[in-house]
Amino acid sequence: MVRSMSAAPVTSAAEMGESPVRHALRRLSVYLRRNGVYYTGWTILTLFYVAAFVAVPILVGWAIEGALSKDVSQSEMTFRFSTLLGVSLVRGVLRFFSRYLVFTAAREVEYEMRNDLFGHLQRLPQSFYFNWRTGDLMSRCVNDLNAVRLMLGPGLLSVVQTPVLFLGVLVAMFVLDPLLALLVIIPYPLFILIARAFGTSLHMRSLEQQVGLANLSNQVQEVVSGISVVKAYAMESEQARRFKDVNEDLYRRVLRLVVVNGAMPAITGLLPAVGMFAVLLVGGSRIHDGHMDVAEFFTFAMYIWELTFPTFIMGWVVALVQRGSAAMQRIDEVLSVEPSIRDHDEVEAVESLRGEVEFRNLHFRYGDESSAVALEDVSLHVPAGSTLGVVGPVGSGKTTLASVIPRLYEVEDGQVFLDGVDVNRLPLGMLRSNIAMVPQDSFLFSLSLAENVAYGLGEDATDEEVAQAAQRAQLTKDIHELPHGFATLVGERGVMLSGGQRQRTALARALALRPSILILDDTLSAVDAATESAIQAELSEVFKGRTVVVVASRVSTVRDCDQIIVMDQGRLVEHGTHASLMAGQGLYARLASEQARSDRANDHPETTEATSPTQESTS
Amino acid sequence: MSDPIAYEEEALGKAYDSRLLALLWPFVSPYRWQVLLTLLMVVPMFLIEVAPAWIIKSGLDYVYVPDSSTATESPLAAWILDPPFGWSTILWLALLYLAVALLSMLLQFAHMVLMAVTGQSAMRDLRKAVFDKIQSLHLGFFDQYPVGRLVTRTSNDVENVAEMFTAGVVALITDVFKMIGFAVVLFWVNPKLALATFAVVPFLAVASVIFRLRVREAFRAVRVRIARINAYIQENVTGMKVVQLFTREARNMREFDRMNADHRDAWNSSIRFEALLFAAVDTAAGVTTAIIIWYGTGLVEAGVLYQFIDYMRRFFRPMQDLSAKYSVMQSSMASSERIFQLLETPVEVMDVSSEASPVPVPGLEGTVRFENVWFAYQGEDWVLRDLSFEVGAGERVAFVGATGAGKTTIINLLSRLYEVKRGRILVGGVDIRLMSQEDLRRRVATVLQDVFLFNGSVADNISLGRKDLSRSEIEQAAQIVEAHPFIARLPEGYETEVRERGTNFSAGQRQLLSFARAVAHGGEILVLDEATSSIDRETEALIQRGIHTLMEGKTALAIAHRLSTVQDVDRIYVLDQGRLAESGSHDHLMSLGGKYAGLFDLQRHQEVSTESDSALDWSASPVS
Ligand SMILES: Nc1ncnc2c1ncn2[C@@H]1O[C@H](COP(=O)(O)OP(=O)(O)OP(=O)(O)O)[C@@H](O)[C@H]1O
Ligand SMILES: Nc1ncnc2c1ncn2[C@@H]1O[C@H](COP(=O)(O)OP(=O)(O)OP(=O)(O)O)[C@@H](O)[C@H]1O
Ligand SMILES: [Mg+2]
Repeated sequence: MVRSMSAAPVTSAAEMGESPVRHALRRLSVYLRRNGVYYTGWTILTLFYVAAFVAVPILVGWAIEGALSKDVSQSEMTFRFSTLLGVSLVRGVLRFFSRYLVFTAAREVEYEMRNDLFGHLQRLPQSFYFNWRTGDLMSRCVNDLNAVRLMLGPGLLSVVQTPVLFLGVLVAMFVLDPLLALLVIIPYPLFILIARAFGTSLHMRSLEQQVGLANLSNQVQEVVSGISVVKAYAMESEQARRFKDVNEDLYRRVLRLVVVNGAMPAITGLLPAVGMFAVLLVGGSRIHDGHMDVAEFFTFAMYIWELTFPTFIMGWVVALVQRGSAAMQRIDEVLSVEPSIRDHDEVEAVESLRGEVEFRNLHFRYGDESSAVALEDVSLHVPAGSTLGVVGPVGSGKTTLASVIPRLYEVEDGQVFLDGVDVNRLPLGMLRSNIAMVPQDSFLFSLSLAENVAYGLGEDATDEEVAQAAQRAQLTKDIHELPHGFATLVGERGVMLSGGQRQRTALARALALRPSILILDDTLSAVDAATESAIQAELSEVFKGRTVVVVASRVSTVRDCDQIIVMDQGRLVEHGTHASLMAGQGLYARLASEQARSDRANDHPETTEATSPTQESTS
Repeated sequence: MSDPIAYEEEALGKAYDSRLLALLWPFVSPYRWQVLLTLLMVVPMFLIEVAPAWIIKSGLDYVYVPDSSTATESPLAAWILDPPFGWSTILWLALLYLAVALLSMLLQFAHMVLMAVTGQSAMRDLRKAVFDKIQSLHLGFFDQYPVGRLVTRTSNDVENVAEMFTAGVVALITDVFKMIGFAVVLFWVNPKLALATFAVVPFLAVASVIFRLRVREAFRAVRVRIARINAYIQENVTGMKVVQLFTREARNMREFDRMNADHRDAWNSSIRFEALLFAAVDTAAGVTTAIIIWYGTGLVEAGVLYQFIDYMRRFFRPMQDLSAKYSVMQSSMASSERIFQLLETPVEVMDVSSEASPVPVPGLEGTVRFENVWFAYQGEDWVLRDLSFEVGAGERVAFVGATGAGKTTIINLLSRLYEVKRGRILVGGVDIRLMSQEDLRRRVATVLQDVFLFNGSVADNISLGRKDLSRSEIEQAAQIVEAHPFIARLPEGYETEVRERGTNFSAGQRQLLSFARAVAHGGEILVLDEATSSIDRETEALIQRGIHTLMEGKTALAIAHRLSTVQDVDRIYVLDQGRLAESGSHDHLMSLGGKYAGLFDLQRHQEVSTESDSALDWSASPVS
């Protein structure tokens, strides 16, 4: 059966019947635990901080009481004041360390998570990248990670510290005056209700806003990557119109978020005011009736004061946490994608490959069952050290066939064998380092030319190795002409090179390696005849003792191969050597003859005369 | 020689600091009334912050304590404190307090919403300006500017600037106003005590200046590093296939880890200073409380003491946020620097005037003429040297030459994707610099060597969103370039979704789609840059037939390495290192026996030998 290869984000969350947010937060907790040292230190500091925090208003009351009453001695007063000063200082120091620790921990988690994200992205197969847009992935690595960090920094600080503060203050107030304490504290449970009421919509709107931002990024990303097409076809106004749409959309989404975002702290800011209302009413009457002294009033007022800011902040923090958890959910979505291509549980301990390749009834499709078949029942044996030519019309499955050898795509067990071992059972790292492939699209990195050629070599690559590979790919002449030679930076994707230079750099990159299997996917399509024949001469040297798969759209490129297959609509339709295939007069002969026929048309003397009068317009 | 590419996001100097607000102004000015209102709201917001302590003070000094006199300072105050409906004064005060709090909440919320709407509107405009600017820049700009960075400019950087507006400028003005306000009120209530209260302020001022300097450096470092990280992720995500094929994962991880750790460490000092300032302000408030009580008891009544402590704290509060606000300001300043640097990039290729583009000279429609064209991508590294040629209307010409000879460059210049350095190019007898770019590019339909497909449907990729192209015209174009058969086989045909850069199509299929695009868009001049390099011979021959009829009477310029595909054109130009080496018809060039003849023989030898092995009887004559 043909196996579907969908890379839709299959989260283990779904399997476990866990909500995505919970799953995300569970993942987050792993990071928190990993940084347990910071958090433990911080927790201890917080307890001391709260003690100091609770002490200060009492000390203020104490000092005022002393100052107002006539019968407290001067030395007693000095003592009271120095205690107040001392505790204030200690509180400051504790506050410094607690902030410092928690923010540092947040940065540490950010660092680890970014590393994990990048590492994970490197493990995900090609099929994943078919379904995810770069702009979207970037947005998760940048914006969402940022939101998570904010949740862990100011967010966590407040979420953990504020309740402890409340508890401390509550205890202190109860000791001083239980009734008043109760009145002050009554409004605060409302916070939970408010947070609930706003929480869900905050979460949704945060998600919407993040999506809006990702859409905008995608639009810009696409226009910039395709800028030459945009310009060559004067698409600017059309693109500007599309941008306007996503821009307006983002604007609306942000405002929708901002309204809830701002309402929350405004409302929570009222809670302490209600507490103060109670103090004024009850405390005021008590002072009036002589049941309470002014110093105690100060202490209570101070407590409410001290709680105002944390409460207000909590309003923001709810938003921060909602946004952070929405972001964490989006990050978790990426991290939860299991790499469908990875070492098999029962991996065969193969050290290196000789290079024998075999396909047994290979079936392959890129999507699920409903999608078109890309390869159908391909069976073939390529002995180690031999060459295989693959030709066929556009879209016939040549690239696909070549790509399953290094396991770029997932195939069913029992269909592709290297050295007689199922490719799925081979260690992935070993497999790929024994194969060198020149993909059809010559993607280069924005490094120097030399670094691009040395890309697959280790960090200890020598200049000779690089120079030799460049020579083999006939790059040397170009390199001399480039402004900075080997050190020339090639730009993103190699935009600063000509098409042929780019292609040959990609070729040199593969030729620098010493693989057992070499796969060339239409590698010389952008290269002129003279260069091509020079490269061919070099290649025959390289081919010796290796298994080589040459994919080509031109028959001339593969004619010397030990065996040639012809693909058509995913099927292997012809198989043989150049001579036998030419004799067969099938598709192969047609592909070859078309070429020759147009050559011959102009070879006849009559035509030559007919197309004559030559204009010289060169000045 | 210094490196020509500014890939690294180097830290910019102070150059922009002073001009930043001036540059930002055009984006804010349409909303200046809202901005003014936002700023004016500071006054009622301040007054409302003064009120609570005053109410409590009044309570403490005149109401709660039984022996205090009921006579208050002013008639207005007396009037306010006088409870209606015979309520008790204590209840009335408490209610007043609550009302003030409620009002303060409403004001704050309104202020916030107003600020957000204004800020976001301005930012929406700024984003649009950035995007329009990007689209107006010439292609050379994009060679130097990584994609990811431009995405950052329009998304995160603009967001940062919005923050600068809301959390930065407005908040800062509000804060300063409030601080001055509270200071004035304190001095007004009791100058002596006020002086004592401000004893610690000088220390704090010094601390925040030091903070400012240190954090500024830290922030610049952070920005440079995060930009590097993001560019790295972006590039590796796009080239992941190569990363995996060449098993670079481990090494990339090491490199990435280093960058990532650098970034984290850059934050470290800023976190330290931020926490330090925060704690310092906190401590200062504590110390000042002690000072006020120590110094104030006996000097003033308990109520005034309360008032002092309250105002003093409100005075310090903004200082505490200062660190946070300063951080925001720093990162937004950096962002706006980048944005304005981008907005101020000179547009090298632009339309001379907004007037209608000149029409072609009668009789010269469809002609192309290069006059002594010189071009270099960088400095004086000439890629084209003194190139001149002329293509008549309806003629078909071809450019051949070794890779890197400058063929694509000719096309780039013809479409004015880059500007010539010397000489000029005429299309339809008009210098292309006098035409509008849109007009020029509508006349010249190009199949670019680098195929790029957009997200969207197959049909969209051919029509490129042009509404006046009907489905049948799109299909016809696809028919001509032989793309129709494979599109028809797709489950959803022309509506099939094209994924990022067309990864769900084979390279040849992508090329056919990009070819169909040019055919659908028409124009008097068709330019083909290696339009069939990834196409098999059989399909190519079919396409050539189709194109032939389509191009009847139209001008065509083609570039091809496969000489067999260009030999029947009217004229062939052979390019060598940016100069014209030979030109003429195929037969003329063959008879010259120069470069072209050499290349042609070489290629035919490759191809003909393919055939000579065959059993077919029409094997070609051996090459002379
Ligand atoms: N964007 C660029 N920036 C700097 N140099 C460039 C840029 N594009 C091309 N070049 C250089 O200009 C020269 C000519 O390039 P061009 O693309 O015109 O060659 P070409 O003849 O089309 O080659 P090919 O057949 O390989 O496509 C090359 O040496 C190339 O390295
Ligand atoms: N990622 C993908 N998702 C879905 N379909 C795909 C994907 N890649 C290729 N295909 C389809 O699979 C078929 C085979 O593609 P493949 O790239 O193997 O062709 P090819 O023979 O290499 O063609 P070319 O000569 O154009 O390079 C094509 O019909 C193509 O549209
Ligand atoms: Mg292919």
